[in-house]
Amino acid sequence: MADTPRPNEIEPEKEPEKPIECSGECRRPIAVHYSEITGQTIVVTGMCEECPVLKRKLHGMHTQIKGASSLAETDLACGNCGTSLESIKVGSLLGCSSCYDIFDETIVAELQGAGKLPTRLTSVKKPLPLHFGRSPGEVKEITPSIRLLALNEALNETLKKEDYEQAALLRDQIQALTRDDEKPKNGEKKNND
Amino acid sequence: MTSDKSHPYLNQNKPWIDNDNAIWIASTIHLSRNIEKYKFPGKLEADRQKQIVSVLGKELMAAPHLSKPRLFHSDQITPAQKQFLMEHFLSTQGFQQAHSGEAFVLSEAGDFLAVFNVNDHLSLCIIDSRGELEQTWNRLVEIETTIGKAVNYAYSPRFGFMTADPAISGTGLVVSIYLQISGLIHLDRIDEVLDKLNDESIYVSGMQGNPTEVIGDILVVQNNYTQGVTEENIFSGLRSFASKLLMEENSARKEIKQQENNEIKDRVSRAFGILIHSYHIEAVEALNAISLLKLGQSLGWISGISCKDLNQLFFNCRRAHLLAQFKETIPQEQILHKRSEYIHSALKEVKLMI
Repeated sequence: MADTPRPNEIEPEKEPEKPIECSGECRRPIAVHYSEITGQTIVVTGMCEECPVLKRKLHGMHTQIKGASSLAETDLACGNCGTSLESIKVGSLLGCSSCYDIFDETIVAELQGAGKLPTRLTSVKKPLPLHFGRSPGEVKEITPSIRLLALNEALNETLKKEDYEQAALLRDQIQALTRDDEKPKNGEKKNND
Repeated sequence: MTSDKSHPYLNQNKPWIDNDNAIWIASTIHLSRNIEKYKFPGKLEADRQKQIVSVLGKELMAAPHLSKPRLFHSDQITPAQKQFLMEHFLSTQGFQQAHSGEAFVLSEAGDFLAVFNVNDHLSLCIIDSRGELEQTWNRLVEIETTIGKAVNYAYSPRFGFMTADPAISGTGLVVSIYLQISGLIHLDRIDEVLDKLNDESIYVSGMQGNPTEVIGDILVVQNNYTQGVTEENIFSGLRSFASKLLMEENSARKEIKQQENNEIKDRVSRAFGILIHSYHIEAVEALNAISLLKLGQSLGWISGISCKDLNQLFFNCRRAHLLAQFKETIPQEQILHKRSEYIHSALKEVKLMI
């Protein structure tokens, strides 16, 4: 076991790794293999279609900057941890909770751009909450009845398709769930037996 | 709170050894938290990292619902053991960058992992292979609440729980359901079914997080949003989506069996041939073939092996799990051959009934 495996792999010799700025961040599929030859070494990097690192390498870092306000924006950094606006735009992790205050609008825009905000929230302005879940210490148990609702929904769809054999299996599971003493596994066991 | 390189917690089969699930293989629940007023791990000073490991480690050792937890510092774990953890917890995030200042807590039951100072100060993960997603979540909340009595989590009313990656801020909750939908994939019907079930709140990908690469016919169904939704919304949306996909897979398998589908019989037969006759085999090829064998087993075309044994073979064919099967050190160039040998041994009683 002397070899050192790389992260996020089942088998080596797969896709090249993403740029360091994007590693662990970018979930988009690799669309470009960017090879950089320096002397005798060739470094191959995997990049997505919209990779900001790729754009920077192809077009240069400051070609997009047109006016003084843009320049000021690129210089913006968190006073607590030093994380810059530019690093957030290339997908780097945030450095501290103050970053959320300082880069509020950019973070929301990035979440929207990545499809990580429900459509109904796209126009929520500061200081309205984006968060609808638990707050610290709040005890809010989730009951297994959610499973019952999901099975009922699946049952309705099965009946629409007139698959009565499948419907009977689903009905069995619903009945078993409504009896406290019987709990089938995963909602699949009876289907696959 | 001592560490040990050869500790059984870093090389254990539980809870996978008892997994006899045919389609809904398992689920994982991840919860990420940071501590108020401390910079996130990427910007955190070494002495602060140690403080976090010390405080969180102490609280987790005493947390309820954890069987005999143990703390391991990252510099005391080998790269192969880190990859074993990644595979065991079906994580798409590697732990190889954890060299010092990071730590892990594992439990005896093999279903719980806490990671300190990798991306976030605290990342909790639980594996559920019994279909008790909601109960497992309630257990995780109890652990999180216990720790929250000792430290204040980084939280704002607008963004919720603040994480280093804003894409998981809010609830900080990522739930993944692993479904082996070989029937739909080999009937070439999966795209049509996913289009029909289309739901913007669900993210579907392969085991390694890539939406275009499906390995071993396993689809990972995950919540796409952590903002703008409650934890209950996340669980009910996933339950509903996964139940419908499961139902479609059952229908597909029924159809394959009724129609005596020759194309799929051929694929299962070839997969069996590859597995028992290969001299070298890559993990991805092995996982794809084992999935077909599992499909054949569920349709009565394969005898001499149970679904549970096939699941175990599937999980143990991955690199770090395979290496953990052998007492001796396996040189890099022999891994593919050792995988073949391991598969031959596991399938020696298997017969093709087609």
